[in-house]
Amino acid sequence: MPNSKEIKQEGDRAASAAKFFKHQTFYLILVIIVIGVIASSINSNFLTLRNILNIMQQISTLGILTMVMSLLMISGGLDISIGNMAGLIAIVFARLLISGKSIFLCVIVALTLGIVLGFINGLIIAKSKVTPLIITLGMNYVFLGIALIVGGGRPQSITGEFEFLGQAKVGGVVPVAIILFLVVFAFAFMLRKYTKYGRRLNAIGGNTMAAYLSGINVDLHIISIYALSGLIVGFTSLILISRLGMVQADVGANYALQALAAAIIGGITFEGGRGSLVGAFFGVLLFGILNNALNIIGVSSFIQTIVLGAIIVIATVVSNIGKTRR
Amino acid sequence: MENNLLEKEKILDVKNIFKEFPGVKALTDFSFDLYDGEVHALIGENGAGKSTFIKILSGAYQPEKGTMVISGEKHNFFTPRIARRIGIQTVYQEDILVPGITAAENIFLGTELVQSKKFFVSYKTMINQANELAEQLGINLNVDEIYEKLSPSDQQFVKILKALAQKPKVLVLDEPTQAFNVSDIGLVIKMVKRIIKEGVGVIYIAHDLDEIIEVADRVTVLRDGVSINTHDKSLEVFDADSLAKEMIGRPIDLFYKKKESPVGDYVFEVRGLKLKESSEEINFKVKEGEILGLAGLKGSGQSEIVRAIFGSLKKYRGKVFYKGNDITPGNPMQAVRSGIALLTENKKIDGLFMGMPVDQNITVVGLDSLGKFFLSLKKEVKFSNEYVNKLNIKTPSLDQEVRLLSGGNQQKVVLAKWLFKGVNVLIVDEPTHGIDVNAKTEVYELFTELAASGKLIIMISSEMPELISLSDRIIIIRNYGISKVLEKSEINEENILSGFMGGN
Repeated sequence: MPNSKEIKQEGDRAASAAKFFKHQTFYLILVIIVIGVIASSINSNFLTLRNILNIMQQISTLGILTMVMSLLMISGGLDISIGNMAGLIAIVFARLLISGKSIFLCVIVALTLGIVLGFINGLIIAKSKVTPLIITLGMNYVFLGIALIVGGGRPQSITGEFEFLGQAKVGGVVPVAIILFLVVFAFAFMLRKYTKYGRRLNAIGGNTMAAYLSGINVDLHIISIYALSGLIVGFTSLILISRLGMVQADVGANYALQALAAAIIGGITFEGGRGSLVGAFFGVLLFGILNNALNIIGVSSFIQTIVLGAIIVIATVVSNIGKTRR
Repeated sequence: MENNLLEKEKILDVKNIFKEFPGVKALTDFSFDLYDGEVHALIGENGAGKSTFIKILSGAYQPEKGTMVISGEKHNFFTPRIARRIGIQTVYQEDILVPGITAAENIFLGTELVQSKKFFVSYKTMINQANELAEQLGINLNVDEIYEKLSPSDQQFVKILKALAQKPKVLVLDEPTQAFNVSDIGLVIKMVKRIIKEGVGVIYIAHDLDEIIEVADRVTVLRDGVSINTHDKSLEVFDADSLAKEMIGRPIDLFYKKKESPVGDYVFEVRGLKLKESSEEINFKVKEGEILGLAGLKGSGQSEIVRAIFGSLKKYRGKVFYKGNDITPGNPMQAVRSGIALLTENKKIDGLFMGMPVDQNITVVGLDSLGKFFLSLKKEVKFSNEYVNKLNIKTPSLDQEVRLLSGGNQQKVVLAKWLFKGVNVLIVDEPTHGIDVNAKTEVYELFTELAASGKLIIMISSEMPELISLSDRIIIIRNYGISKVLEKSEINEENILSGFMGGN
C-alpha cells in the first residue's frame, strides 16, 4: 500500500480545484474580466495604468470599510453605523485641527474615538444579544446626530493642512490610499486564516452556541472585533478627510450599505462563519470597475444606480441557487 | 370477567405490517387494532418500533407490506393527507406550534371550524369554541394566552386540543406526560378518559409503566419490531414487573463486548450539587479510567446535571473537584481549561460548526497546538489527517463542510475536536443517538480505549445495551436527584428499569 497519504492529498488538491470553479469568487473574477474587455473595446482609455490606479483609489476607502464589514459578518455580526461613525470621527478631527491642535494629537484622538465607538457597539451587542442590525442602525443615527452637533451642521474645511493619507503618491505614481487598502486587506486575510483570534471569530459566526460550549470567550471576541473595526474606521476617516479636505457630518452616510453590498457580492453571508475576504476584495473591485466602466461608456448616473442594485440582487440569488443545489 | 370489547366498534385494524430500514427490521409482521372508546397503549424500549408504527399511521413512513383498515376503508399506506382525512391525529412530543400567537389561534390553525362569516375569522368565536373544548375535557387553560408564555404542560394540552379540534377517530399520543410533574400526570390520565367517552380511540405511548397500567384498557408489548403480547385489562391482571420482563429479553449477542481494563483511584468528584434550591443534593465520585453511566427516563434531569457540572447551566450550589483541586467551572471556558469536555446530545445545534470544513472543526478548541501566534496550516492538515484516520472519519477531503457528513461521522468529528484538545474528563450526552450500528461500535471502541488510557467518561444514555455493556457503574437519575447506584455486578436491565420507576 504505497503512498495512500499522497493519493489523499492528490484528491484534496483536485477537490479544491473543482471547488474553486464552483466558488463565487471565480464567477466574480470572470464578470470583472468580461466588463473590462467590453469597456476597453468601447473606450481604449479604460485599460490604462492611470485609469486602473484611478479605480483603485476611488474604491480604497470603501474597500477598507468592506474589509471591516466582512470581518464582522464572518463573526456573525454587522455594523450599519460605520459610515456615520467615520463621519463623526472626521468632524471631530477637523474641529480639533481647526482649533489649532497638532496633527499628531488629532490623529491619536481620531483613532481612540474609533476604538471607543466600536467598543460601545460591541459591548451592547455582546451583552444584550440583540441583533446587531438593530443596535447599529440605532447607533448610526446617534453618531450622525452627535456629528451634526459637533460640526454645528456646517461643513468643516481643513484644506491644505492634512493631505498625505488621501492625496500623496508613492514614487509619484501609486496613491498612498491604495497601499493602505491593500495593507488592510492583507491584515484582515491573515487575521482570519492564520490567527487563533480569527479562527475563533469564524467559529462564533458559524455557531455561537457551539463556540461558547467549546470554551471560547464569545463576549470578549465580539466586543474586541467591534473595537478593532472602530479603530480601522477611525483610520478610514483620516483618509477620507485627507482626500476631501472638507467634510460634512453625513460624509460617510452611504458607505455602510455599500460596504455591506460589496461584501455580499463577494460571497460573505449573513449567517456568518463563511465567505472569503478574497471574495470581498473582488466584490469591491467589481463595484469600482463597474462604476468606472459605466462612466467611461457614458451611461447616466441614474442608470448606474439601477445597475448596481441589480448586481447585488443577482449576485445573492445566484449564490443562493448554488447553495440549495449542492 | 366479560370481554367488553365485543360491544364496541373496531375503528382501526392493522394487519401484518412490515417495515425495514437499511440494516434494521423496524417492524416485522406487526398487527394492532383499536376500538372506539378505548385506550390501547404501546410499550417497548427505545428502538422497539413504536415510533416507526406511529409514523406509519400518520403517513410519514410507508410500510413494505401489510394492510390497514379504518372505518371500513382498506389502505396499504397512508400519506399525511390521507391520515388526516380519515381521522387519525398524532400528537408528537416534539411537535412545534406557532409560538407567537395565542393558544386558541393555535388550536384552530388550518381549521375551517370557526369561520363565522364567509371570509373573516371571528376571534371571539374561536375563544369560545376553544374554551368549550377545554371545558369538555376538564382542562383549566387560558386559551387567550400567547402559546410560548404557557407552561410546558399547558402547551401539551394545547397540542392535544389542536388534534381534537380536527374531530379525529383515532388519537395517537406520543409520551403525552413528558412535560408534566409527577403530580400532574393524573390530569392527563383524567383527560384521556374523557376523550375516549366521546367515541375516540386513543393509542397511548409512554415509558412509565405505572402510568400505562392506570390509563390503558389494553397494552401491547413491542420488542425489536415484533409484537410480543397484548394484555386486556378486562380479562387479566398485570403489573409493571411482568410488563418490564416482556419488554426486555434481548438476545445477549446484540451487546457490545467491552474489553475490561483496570480502573484507578477516585479523581473526579461532584459534591453537594443542587440545581434548584428545592432539588435533591447530588454527590458522586468517578475513578480514573472509569466509564460512569447516567441513566434515567427522559426529562429526569440527567442533561441538566451534566450541564451544571460543565458550567453551561446555572446551578443553585455545588462544587466539582479533580485530583483534590476545586475546579468548579462558572462557565464552559473554565471547564475546558480544567480539562472537562461536554459532548451535548444535540450536536448539530451546539457541537458542530456545520458550515466550516472538517479540519477547522477538529482544531477549533485546540488551536494552541498549531502555533503561538500564527497558525501553521501544515500542522493543521497533518493533525487533522491523523484524527480522521484514527477515528475512521469518512470524508472526501479535509475541506468538506461538516454539514455534508453523515451523522456518525459528524459525531466522530465532535469527538476528534475534544481529543485533539486533550481532556481528562469526557462527558457525553446520548453519544450514539441517530448514528448507525457500525459507527456505534466504533464510538464504543473509542470510549473503551480512552478509558483504558486513564481518562474518565461520564455517559448519559437512554439505550439499555449501551449502558449495560459500557458502564463500570450506573447512577440512576430520577426527578433531578440520584435514585440508585448500580455497581458493576448489579447492572442489568431489570435493576435499571426498577430504578427508573423509583423501586428498589
